[in-house]
Amino acid sequence: MKKANKLITVLIFIFLYIPMAVLIIGSFNEGKSLSSFEGFTLRQYAELFRDKDLLALLGNSLLISILATAIATAFGTFAAVGIYNLKPKMRKAVMSLTNIPMTNPDIVTGISLSLLFVFIGTGMLGNKQSLNFWTLLIAHITFSLPYVLLNVMPKLQQMNPALKDAAMDLGCTPLHSFFKVTIHEIMPGIVSGAIMAFTMSLDDFVISYFVTGSDFVTLPVKIYSFTKKPIHPKVYAMFTLLFALIFVLMVTMNLLQLRSDKKKTQSRTKPESRAMRTFKRVGAIACVVILLAGTVFLFAVTRQNKITLNVMNWGQNIADGSDGTLDIIEAFEDKYPHIQVNYSEYASNEELYSKLSNGGLVVDVIIPSDYMIARMINENMLLPLDFDNIPNYKNVLETYKNQAYDPENKYSVPYTWGTVGIIYNSKYVSEEDVTGWDLLWNEKYAKKILMFDNSRDAFGIAAYKLGIDVNTTDKAELQKCADALAKQQPLVQQYVMDQVYEKMIEGNAWIAPYYAGDAMMMMDENPDLRFYLPENQNFNLFIDAMCIPTCSQEKEAAELFIDFMCNPEVSGANMDYICYGSPIDGATEYMEEYLAESEIIYPPVETLERGSSYAFLPEEITRYVENLFMKVRLPAEPSPPSEDSPDILPTVVITLCAAAVFGTFLYAKAKRKKKS
Amino acid sequence: MSKELIRLQNLTMEFDGERILDGINLYINDHEFLTLLGPSGCGKTTTLRIIGGFLTPTSGEVLFDGQRTNDVPPYKRQVNTIFQRYALFPHLDVYDNIAFGLRVAKLSKAEIQERVTEMLAIVGLKGYEHRRIDNLSGGQQQRVAIARALVNRPKVLLLDEPLAALDLRLRKDMQNELKRIQQAMGITFVYVTHDQEEALSMSDTVVVMDKGRIQQIGKPEDIYNEPKNAFVADFIGESNILDGVMLEDYKVKFFGRVFNCLDAGFAPNEPVDVVIRPEDIDFVPPEEGHLVGTVTSVTFKGLNYDIIVDFRGFKWLIQTTDYQSVGAKVGIRLNPEDIHVMKKSEYSGMFGDYSSYSAEYDELTEDADDEEE
Repeated sequence: MKKANKLITVLIFIFLYIPMAVLIIGSFNEGKSLSSFEGFTLRQYAELFRDKDLLALLGNSLLISILATAIATAFGTFAAVGIYNLKPKMRKAVMSLTNIPMTNPDIVTGISLSLLFVFIGTGMLGNKQSLNFWTLLIAHITFSLPYVLLNVMPKLQQMNPALKDAAMDLGCTPLHSFFKVTIHEIMPGIVSGAIMAFTMSLDDFVISYFVTGSDFVTLPVKIYSFTKKPIHPKVYAMFTLLFALIFVLMVTMNLLQLRSDKKKTQSRTKPESRAMRTFKRVGAIACVVILLAGTVFLFAVTRQNKITLNVMNWGQNIADGSDGTLDIIEAFEDKYPHIQVNYSEYASNEELYSKLSNGGLVVDVIIPSDYMIARMINENMLLPLDFDNIPNYKNVLETYKNQAYDPENKYSVPYTWGTVGIIYNSKYVSEEDVTGWDLLWNEKYAKKILMFDNSRDAFGIAAYKLGIDVNTTDKAELQKCADALAKQQPLVQQYVMDQVYEKMIEGNAWIAPYYAGDAMMMMDENPDLRFYLPENQNFNLFIDAMCIPTCSQEKEAAELFIDFMCNPEVSGANMDYICYGSPIDGATEYMEEYLAESEIIYPPVETLERGSSYAFLPEEITRYVENLFMKVRLPAEPSPPSEDSPDILPTVVITLCAAAVFGTFLYAKAKRKKKS
Repeated sequence: MSKELIRLQNLTMEFDGERILDGINLYINDHEFLTLLGPSGCGKTTTLRIIGGFLTPTSGEVLFDGQRTNDVPPYKRQVNTIFQRYALFPHLDVYDNIAFGLRVAKLSKAEIQERVTEMLAIVGLKGYEHRRIDNLSGGQQQRVAIARALVNRPKVLLLDEPLAALDLRLRKDMQNELKRIQQAMGITFVYVTHDQEEALSMSDTVVVMDKGRIQQIGKPEDIYNEPKNAFVADFIGESNILDGVMLEDYKVKFFGRVFNCLDAGFAPNEPVDVVIRPEDIDFVPPEEGHLVGTVTSVTFKGLNYDIIVDFRGFKWLIQTTDYQSVGAKVGIRLNPEDIHVMKKSEYSGMFGDYSSYSAEYDELTEDADDEEE
C-alpha cells in the first residue's frame, strides 16, 4: 500500500510537471520543432532580450498585474475587515456573494465587463475608445479581489479579537489599531492573497481579451493571436523565465512559512536579533522594488513619449524581421521616431468588421479586402484620405487604382493583391484528381478537406464551381451555392482560417482552399504541398488595401504609414515575407528573385484573366449569405476525436484529474489507517 | 478609605434581547482593590468591559470622576486592561509590547526607554527585552501584560481573569505579586475572577454577582461570615444551608429544635435560611449532642477530613481534624456564633445539601467554569 502511494505521488508529480519540462527543454532547443531535440542553445534567450515588442508586452502584463495586485490587495484587505465586522449571518451571506465571481466562468465575466465598459464609455460618456488600459486594470482588480478576500478572511477569524481591544486599550483609534496590530496578524493572508491575485492576473487571457483595447495588450492576449505559425521558441524562453520567477516566489514563500512554523513550535534560546529582522524586512522590500524597477525599465526601454499608431492587419501579413526579412514596423519607427506602432491582428474581414462596428476601439490603419472596403465605405466607416500626405501613391500601378470597390479611389491605397486557389498535399492527393474546384468535393478525400470559415470566400468557391456570378444577389442562385456547400459539409474536416497552416503543414488535412501568398508560406514549411488555380474555371482575384477607419485619432500618422508602405523598397521587402503580389511599381526589383518570378504570386496574364473580384453586396444579401452559411456549417462540429490530436486533450485532463483524486483518496485512507 | 473614582448607576446591558446586566449599582474608590466575583455568565466580564469602554451599556450611567463616560471610546479612557490570556502582540518583542502604549502616546524615546526599563524591573523581567512573545512561559507573559498596562500609569487597571491560565503554584505567586504591585503603585484595581479564594485573599472589596445582578458587596470577611443569601453562602466556601424559622430575635428553630443565635431584626416566625459552615462544627459524644446523625462518608483532604453526616435524611458536610469511621453515630453541638441566619431568597433550597457530595466536587466545578469562560 505504501509503495503504491509513493508510486502514485511520483506519477502525479510527473503528470503535473512534464508539460513545464517540455517547455523548458524546448526553450533550450537548437532546432525549431519541439518534436526533436537538436542540441543545447541559449539563442532563444538572446533573441528574447533583443525582441523589444515581446519585452514590451511582458512589461504591459507585469504593469497590469502589479497595479491590479496592489490595488486589489489594499481594497480586499479593507473589505475583509469590513465584512469581518458584520454580524455573523450577514458575514456569511456577503462572503458567499464575493465568492461567486471566482466560480463564474471567465468568459462570462469577460463579456459582461466588456459590455459594461462599452455601455458606460461609449454609450454614456461618448468616448470612442472605451476599452483601454483603465478598463483592463479595473477588470483585473475585479477578478483578483475575491482571491484576496478568500485569503485574508480566515486570518481575521483566527486572530485573537482581544488583540484589537488591547491596542485600543493602549490608546489606538480603531484605524490606528488596524495598522499597528491587525495588519501584522493577517499579513500571511495578505501576502498569499496578493501572490494568488498576481498569478491570476498575470496569466489571465479570457477576461483580458474582452476588456482590453488595441492600445494596450497583455502578453497572454498577444500570444493567443500567434495562431498562424507555430509559436516562436523565444516565447518558450520567456515562459521558462516566468515559470522560474513564480516557482522561486512560491518556494521562498513556503520556506519562510515553514521556518516561522518551526520557530513557533521550538522555543529558541537565542532571540532573533534586530539586525536579522531588519535584514528580512529589507529583503522583502527589495524584492518588490526589483519587480517594480524591472517593469519601469521595460517601459523605459520600450516606449517613450510617442504618438501611438494602431495598425490592424491580417495575421502574419507584414514582414516582421524573422527569417532575414525586413522588420517593417521597426523600419517605420526608425524613420519616424515620434511614432510608436501598436500592431494587432484579425483573422478575417468579417472579424475586422465586427470589431470595428462593436465600437470601443481606436484603430488608425486597417487593411481589409475589396468587398469589405466597399461595405465599409457604404456604411461610412472609413475616412477619406488626404493624398497630399501620401506622395508615394504615384508608385501604385494604374491597374490597381480606381477599382470597383472604391471607384474614385478616395478611401483606400492597395497593399497587396493575390488569388484564391487550392493547396494540396502531393503525397496523398493523386495528380489526376487535381482539376478544378471539384477537388474540394471529392469523396476520396473525405475528412481530409478543409474549407473557408468565412461566408464570402466559401460561397465564392461554390459559385465558381457552379459557374454562377460570384457577385450575384439572386437568392435562388445563392441557395444553389448553399446546397453545394451542404453537400460538401460531410467531407469537411473543419472550417478554418489561420488554422489552415498547422493542419496543412503537419499533414492532418490534405486539401484546402486558401490565399496564394499563404500557400507559398506553407510550402516553405512542407515541401509536399502544391498550389493551383483551377483550370478553365474562375477564381477570386482580391486586393487588400489600406484604409483609415472613422475611429482613428491619428489620421496624419496613419497617412505617413500608408505612404511608407507605398515605397517600392518597403513593399518589395514586405512581399518577401508575405508572398503576395505587390501593387507598387518597381517593388519586384527589391523582391527575391524566386518570388518575383513565381507563377503562384504572379500568374501568367492569360490565367489572371479568369480572376474576378468580389464586389459590394447589399447589407440584406450579406446577411442572407451569412445565415445560409451558418446553417451549412452547423452540423460539422464536433469532428471525431480520433482524427484530431488536440481532442485527446480533454481525455488526458479527465484522466489526470481522476488520477489525482484517486491518489488523494488512497493517501487519505492510508493515513487514516495508520492513525487508527 | 479615599475618594470615589468610578460609579455605575442602574447599569443594564442587553444582547439580542437577552439581559446580561440587570440594574448594577456600584462605586469604586481610588486605590481600592475591588473584585467582581461570580460564576461564568454572571455578567462580571461584561461589567468590566463597560468600564473599559469596549461595550456601551443599554441603559444606566458610567461615571468617572463624576463625569459621564458612557460613550468615551477605550483609547480616550485613563484605564488599562489585562486581558484573559493576555492578548500580547505576537509580532512584537517584550520591549516593544511594553512600549506600545507609550509610543502611541508619542512620548520621547528617552522617556519610553526609562519607563519601560523601570517597568521591566518591577515585574522582574530584566534581560528579557528582546525575547519574542512565543518564547515566554505563561507566567512571563502574564508579567509582560501587567507591565504593558501599568507602564501607561493608568488610574484604574482592569484585570479579566488574569491568572486563569496559570497553574496553581504560579497562580499563588502571582496573586501576591499583583497585590504587591497594586500597593506599591497605588492604582485602583478592578479584578474579575470566578475563584472565590483568589477574591477573598486579594481584595479590599468583593462584589459577588450572579444572573446579571449584584448579590452582595462587602469586605472579604463580611462576605464570608455574613453571606446575604444562599447563593453567596454557597459560592463563597462550603455551607450547610437549612430551612428554619426565626421565632424572635436571637432564637432560631430548625430540625425541631430551638437554637440561640446572634441574629436579630426578623419578623416573628419569619421563615429563614440557616447557614452553618462545615469547619465550625465540632463532634461530641452522641448523648451530649444537640443533633445526632450517622457518618456516611469520610474523605481525607490533607488538612482535614471531609465527613458527610446524615441527620434525619439531610446530609451535612463537616470539616474536622477528628477522624470518624463510616457508620459511626455522632453528635454535634452548635454554639450561637456558629449559626448565621439569612433572609429567604430566590436561591433558597437550591444549595447547601450535600446528598450528592463527591470528593471531586471542587475540581469538577472549577473545570466546568474554565471551559465556559
